[in-house]
Amino acid sequence: MGRRNKPGASKRGGLRQFYLVLALVAVVGIAALGYAVARGGGGAVLEPIAVEGLDDARTLVAKAEGMALGDPSAPAKLLIFNDFQCPACAAFAAQITPFLKAELVDAGKLQIVYHDFPLVNVHPHAFIAARAARCAGEQGKYWEYYSMLFGQQGRWSTRPRAPLGDFEGYAAEVGLDRDAFGACLRSDRYADVVTANMQLGQQLGVDGTPTLILNGRRIRDWRSFADLKRLIEGEAGN
Amino acid sequence: MDAGRVETRDGAAPLTRMGIAVLSLAGLFIAAYLLLHRLGIVGTLQCGADGGCSVVQSSRWAVFLGIPVPAWGVGGYGLLLGTALAGVQPGLAGDRRIAALLFALSAFAFTFSLYLTALEAFVIHAWCRWCLASAGIATAIFLLSLPEIRRLRRG
Repeated sequence: MGRRNKPGASKRGGLRQFYLVLALVAVVGIAALGYAVARGGGGAVLEPIAVEGLDDARTLVAKAEGMALGDPSAPAKLLIFNDFQCPACAAFAAQITPFLKAELVDAGKLQIVYHDFPLVNVHPHAFIAARAARCAGEQGKYWEYYSMLFGQQGRWSTRPRAPLGDFEGYAAEVGLDRDAFGACLRSDRYADVVTANMQLGQQLGVDGTPTLILNGRRIRDWRSFADLKRLIEGEAGN
Repeated sequence: MDAGRVETRDGAAPLTRMGIAVLSLAGLFIAAYLLLHRLGIVGTLQCGADGGCSVVQSSRWAVFLGIPVPAWGVGGYGLLLGTALAGVQPGLAGDRRIAALLFALSAFAFTFSLYLTALEAFVIHAWCRWCLASAGIATAIFLLSLPEIRRLRRG
């Protein structure tokens, strides 16, 4: 009873309890944040890895799987070496690819095969973007994710750190299972395939993106969709 | 006027400020978590399977006046925490400037949270659970700051 009659002591006790609660919240918060930071990207592989056996041409071709669009028996086959962080590739995806698909792929004249060629020296997020697209492909939505990555390139490509959060947001937007996508992204999955794609490009003399190889021949002399269409139709025999 | 007498006469005010301080600290950690995610330091947000947090955080509404919204949260909750901590000190319990600042900050935080929640509901069409938790905290802080009006009137 005597204690309760001393307002100063009661005040000090109240403040002490308050600081105790505050310290408890601080400890829990710091521990939770520390755990989240320690998990970081959760093991997401952001750069090319060492892959054994790629010196052998057959192994390299088998491993460097591309993402194909169109009839495999089409008379013209266009390999496109692509970098998701490259503005010229984004322009190609927006201004050329839809017409290629509508006028040539859908008509059975052309098959397009996309190969990853992230220019990792200048585009730090290109490798993880290529992996992200492959992770989306695992759920059958490579092309939706491809469009999303290029459409949002201006946003994620400027991030100072690997834009894993952005990529997961896009995954949800295109209707992917976010947990499955996140598990794929935060792993080393497809790091070997993307690395093999890069090595294949190097073997074929690719030195920039987008690089187009039509029926085994690199094409440079085109300026518009009309030029490209003419070249492709020439190969297709039209 | 002696600070002890002010606390005795208006004992509820320091208690509400203690509440504001604790809630602000919790809000600060939530905002920091979202900011670390935004900066790419934290990978996946723990946010349930629907991916609402990622959708909201990667939307164009996640930046306000050129600054990521979570950074506003860190700054706002930090200021609230500092002001509330000052407000529980015996010598400053009756300070009208602290009462005014506390009420103004909490009113701004509440209004901003309402705006963000409305965006989630009507524009983005996705719910970020951490943002909702922060909005709940901002609302509670605002309610706890209402006695500051009485303190201002008395002063």
